[in-house]
Amino acid sequence: MKKISRRSFLVAAGISAAMALTACSSSSSSTAASSTASSAASAADSAASSTQAIQTLDDLAGKVVGVQLGTTGDLLMSEEVGEGEDKLGIASVEQYNKGADAVQALLTNKIDAVCIDDQVAKNFVEANPDQLTTLDTAFAEESYAIAVSKENPDLTEAFNTAIAELKEDGTLDAILDKYIAKVEGAEGYTTPEGTEYPNGTLVMATNAAFEPYEYIENGEIVGIDAEFGKALCDKLGYELQIEDMEFDSIIAAVNSGKADFGMAGMTITEERQEQIDFTDTYCTAAQAIIVLK
Amino acid sequence: MSMFQNLWAELVSEFTATFITEQRYLLFLNGLKTTLIVAFAAAALGVVLGFILAYIRTTYDQTGRLRILNALAKVYLTVIRGTPTMIQLLIMYFVIFGSVKIDKMPVAILAFGINSGAYVAEIFRSGIMSIPPGQMEAARSLGLNYTQATWKIILPQAVKNVLPALGNEVIVLLKETSISGYIALQDLTKAGDIVRSRTYSAFFPYISVAVIYLVLVLCLEKLLNYMEGRLARSDR
Repeated sequence: MKKISRRSFLVAAGISAAMALTACSSSSSSTAASSTASSAASAADSAASSTQAIQTLDDLAGKVVGVQLGTTGDLLMSEEVGEGEDKLGIASVEQYNKGADAVQALLTNKIDAVCIDDQVAKNFVEANPDQLTTLDTAFAEESYAIAVSKENPDLTEAFNTAIAELKEDGTLDAILDKYIAKVEGAEGYTTPEGTEYPNGTLVMATNAAFEPYEYIENGEIVGIDAEFGKALCDKLGYELQIEDMEFDSIIAAVNSGKADFGMAGMTITEERQEQIDFTDTYCTAAQAIIVLK
Repeated sequence: MSMFQNLWAELVSEFTATFITEQRYLLFLNGLKTTLIVAFAAAALGVVLGFILAYIRTTYDQTGRLRILNALAKVYLTVIRGTPTMIQLLIMYFVIFGSVKIDKMPVAILAFGINSGAYVAEIFRSGIMSIPPGQMEAARSLGLNYTQATWKIILPQAVKNVLPALGNEVIVLLKETSISGYIALQDLTKAGDIVRSRTYSAFFPYISVAVIYLVLVLCLEKLLNYMEGRLARSDR
């Protein structure tokens, strides 16, 4: 895994505003820019309150940070535990099975902070605006991609072609407008009538507790990955079947053939690349720290 | 031949990744420690709770005393046996201790102990009920009162009878603590989970954890056999 040094943390803090602009690959559209403006405003609000115990990354020293097991937040924070030149000196990292469990633990004073992907953090904060806020320091920019078994290079190739086409024709931007920029009336993607599935079924492994990428609404798994996965499979002539599982099981499920691909806001890391192939990236994100107000 | 060499090399590299890299054996050792502490503290709590409950229940059945306590004990048994342990653990952590900062270990011990208490209560009760009524009658006719007869005549025989079932409950409890990971307590199972999330390989972490549990249970069985044998000496 790439080690994130103390220095890069601080640099990241300085350019956090720029980071926020790159929240997702659709940042060029004016709608995304307007949403960034509103999130910057809310960040300014939180900075104004002085009762907040943790204001910067350095304040995490001696604190307990909650993460979701196996996520990049987990990997990053686990590196920062203990004393050392390049470390934040976090007391301990608690690995919950779901990001929501970690946030629940934060809300009930069990832990001091939660490290999770920025868009997901935004949703948690929006759900609890009186109690939670995110630090004004996003860091560790990362790229999401689809995980495919190393034994299935044809599928990786097919996905790469389809991703490029869906980026080109605006389908991906339409989905991002719906879930990230939350444009009024944005419809995202729906399967065109008359789509046929001559190639059979593809099973997608995901962890549907990661709004806005994948989450359960009205009993169905929806979100960016669910919709983009559907668009990809439609394009390739496969019927999509989504399997919900723990995040840290996804790579094992794909490698053992229980699923054909994994799509769960999954960041490309060197460690993961030793086990599995990634397609081209379809979305970028950063890590955010949620704390109590 | 080279196929075996490859297999061996792969096993060695998996073993290294599971235990040696980043001193991961420490995760397993600390997890083992947590599992043992939680399991045995919860078992002790469960035995104490279960004993008190069984005493209340049988006293009510035989003498009609302790009516209110008996009613409470029945509610406790119904609720605890009627809901999954995992839900009880999550409620204990997120609801009952919802607003306080508390170490997770006592929370887990309390949740598993209270859970186990309900089952132990029924085990003890069955033991007490298994002693023929003639024993109680004989004791009473010799001038012992109800409490004396229960403590001196009934319970010593009952404990001997329930030992196998009690041992069974401790074994079940030990394995049930594997759900502690749901409140992010790093027990043995969670240690395996964490290592798997780092190595992306399930084989070694899970097999190792399974073997450790198996060894623990084998040790428990040995201990129980010894205790049963020791208590059986007075049989003849």
